[in-house]
Amino acid sequence: MALVELRGVCKSFRKGDETITPLDEVDLDIEAGDFVSLMGPSGTGKSTLLNLVSGIDRPDAGTIRVAGTEVTKLSRGKLADWRAANLGYIFQTHNLIPVLTAYENVELPTLLLKMTSSQRRQRVELALEAVGLSDRADHYPRQLSGGQEQRVGIARAIVAHPKVVVADEPTGSLDTETSEQVQVLLQRLNKELDITLLMVTHDTDAAKIASRQLVLDRGMFREVGLDETSTVSNA
Amino acid sequence: MFRYVLKTLWRHRTRTLLTVTGAAVAMFVFCFVGSVQEGLHRLTTGSDADRNLIVFQENRFCPTSSRLPEDYERVIAEIPGVRDVMPIQVWTNNCRASLDIVVFNGADPKQIQQTRPLKLTSGDWQQFQSTRDAAIVGRNVAQRRGLKVGDQFTIGEISVRVAGVFESNVPSEENLIYTSLQFLQYTRGLDAAGLVTQHEVMLTDTADPDRVASAIDQKLRAGAVATKTRRKGAFQASTLSDLVDLIGFAHWLGYACVALVLSLVATTTVMSVQDRIKEYAVLQTVGVRPLRAMRLVLAESTILCVVGGVAGTALALTALGFGGFAIGAEGATIAFRPSLGLAATGTVVSVVVGVLAGFIPAIQAATVPIVSALRQA
Repeated sequence: MALVELRGVCKSFRKGDETITPLDEVDLDIEAGDFVSLMGPSGTGKSTLLNLVSGIDRPDAGTIRVAGTEVTKLSRGKLADWRAANLGYIFQTHNLIPVLTAYENVELPTLLLKMTSSQRRQRVELALEAVGLSDRADHYPRQLSGGQEQRVGIARAIVAHPKVVVADEPTGSLDTETSEQVQVLLQRLNKELDITLLMVTHDTDAAKIASRQLVLDRGMFREVGLDETSTVSNA
Repeated sequence: MFRYVLKTLWRHRTRTLLTVTGAAVAMFVFCFVGSVQEGLHRLTTGSDADRNLIVFQENRFCPTSSRLPEDYERVIAEIPGVRDVMPIQVWTNNCRASLDIVVFNGADPKQIQQTRPLKLTSGDWQQFQSTRDAAIVGRNVAQRRGLKVGDQFTIGEISVRVAGVFESNVPSEENLIYTSLQFLQYTRGLDAAGLVTQHEVMLTDTADPDRVASAIDQKLRAGAVATKTRRKGAFQASTLSDLVDLIGFAHWLGYACVALVLSLVATTTVMSVQDRIKEYAVLQTVGVRPLRAMRLVLAESTILCVVGGVAGTALALTALGFGGFAIGAEGATIAFRPSLGLAATGTVVSVVVGVLAGFIPAIQAATVPIVSALRQA
C-alpha cells in the first residue's frame, strides 16, 4: 500500500456565481521515501491538493489515506493530533512565530507529543543541526535572513519525525542562491533521513531535485521526465 | 506553550500595561465599594448588633437631641432578661454624613472595659480610669488623625488626652473615642448633668431582644421622657438610613466596575487574536488542537485580568488597612476595613472575568479557517 493514497478526490470552490472544480475525481499514490514535486499552471489545485493531504482542508468527495489513516474521516481535533505526529508542513512564507526564538519555533511540534524534556532537547538540536542553524538557536525570526527563516521552518517540519513532509513553494520567496541552498537541503533530508516529501513548486530547478515530477492540469496528474519539466512550468 | 502566551503579552507590552492598569483601577473601586457593603453588613449583623439594645429618646435621631435621664439605668436593669445597662453620652462633631466624623462616647470606664469588645494596643486602662480627661481612641480614628498615647486632642469644646489606642472585632467600635461619662456630661455646651444620650442594654443569653425592648418602652412610658428601644443593629441602620440607601445603590457601581474590566480585557483579547489569526492557523497546522488554541487565548485574557485585578485588589486592601476610612452620620459610623473575604472576592472575580472576557476570542482562535487564514499577507 502507498504511503499517501488519494482516491476519487473532488474539491470545488464558489467564486461569485461560478463554481470552480480544480480537483475532480483525482487519484494519486506516493510511496514511502518518494520525493515528489508537483507543478502545473496557477489555479489548477496544486496547493489545494497539498492542503487536503495535510488535513487542513477537506475534500467534497473521495478518500485520502496517509500512512494507513483515512484523514478524511478524522475530526478537527483528531486531525490536529494526527498532523502533530505524522505530518510536517513547510510554508512558502516560513510562518515562524515571531515571539519565539528559532529553538522555540522548532521545539513547538514536540511540545504536542509525549516525550521527556531531554528527548525533546535532543530532537530540536538535531533538527537545527540538520539545517545548519545550531548557532542561530537563540535568534528571533526578525534577526534571521529569509533563507535562515526557511531553514528554521524546515527544521520545525522534520523535528517530530513525521511520515510525510509537504512543502508549499518552499523556495518561492527566496533569491536564487538561497533557493538553491534550500533545494540541496530538501534533497539531503529525503536521501539521508528517508523523509517522504511532497512539494508544490513553480520553480523548474526546484522541481528537478525531486525523484518524481508530477504535473497537475485540468484535474489530471501526469508524470513527466526531467527534460519535460521546464516546458510544464511555462505552460 | 505557556511561554508563548507570556511572550505574546510581552511583545505588546504597551497594550498589556494599559489593559492591566485599567483592570487594576476598576478592581480597586470594586473592592472599595465592597468594603463599604461589608462594613454596613457588619454594623447591622452579629451578636453585638443582635443581642444588644439601644434605648433612645422617642422621635429623636441626632444624638444631640436625645436626652434621657441617667437614672433610667436602674429601671431598665430591673426588667427580666436584662444583664447589664450602660448609660452613654454621645457627642459628635457632625450630625450629617461625613467621611471624617469624630464620635465621643462617654460611659463608666470600668463598665467599658468589662462590656465592650475592646483590646488596647497601646496605653493602659488604669490611666483611662483614673484621669478625668483621659480618652481611649479607636484604631481607625488614631490612624486617620495621627493620634498616639500622650497626645492632647481637641475638637470643638472637647479636649482630651489620649490614654490608649484600641482595636476591636466590631470594626465600627474602632471609629469611636471613649471618655468617662462625667467628663462628657460636664463638657461646656452640653450641659448634660444627670442626662445621657442613650442606654445600651446587654441581654441575658435566653432573653428575646424584641420582647425586652418593648418591655423597656412600656415601663418608661410613664417616665419623664418616652423612649424607643431597638436592637443595636436596627438602631444603627435606622440612624444611617440615608447612607444605607446610598450604599445599596453603590453596589451597582461595583457591578459597573466588573463590566468595565470585562469589556476592556475582552476588547484587548479580541484585537490580539484578530491581529494574530494567521499565527493561530499556523499553530493548528503544526498540530495544536482547537481546544488547546482556545486555552491559549483564555490564558492570555485570564493573565491580563488576574494581574490587573489582583494588583487593584491588593492596592485597595492596603489603602483600606492603612487609611482608617469610615463614613458616619448622627453618631453611627461604618468602618471600611480590608478583609480576607474582599481579597478572595477580588481574586475570584478577576479569574472569572478573565475567562469570560477571553471566551469569544478563544472560539475565534479555535475555529479559524486554516486555509484562508494562511493566505493572509
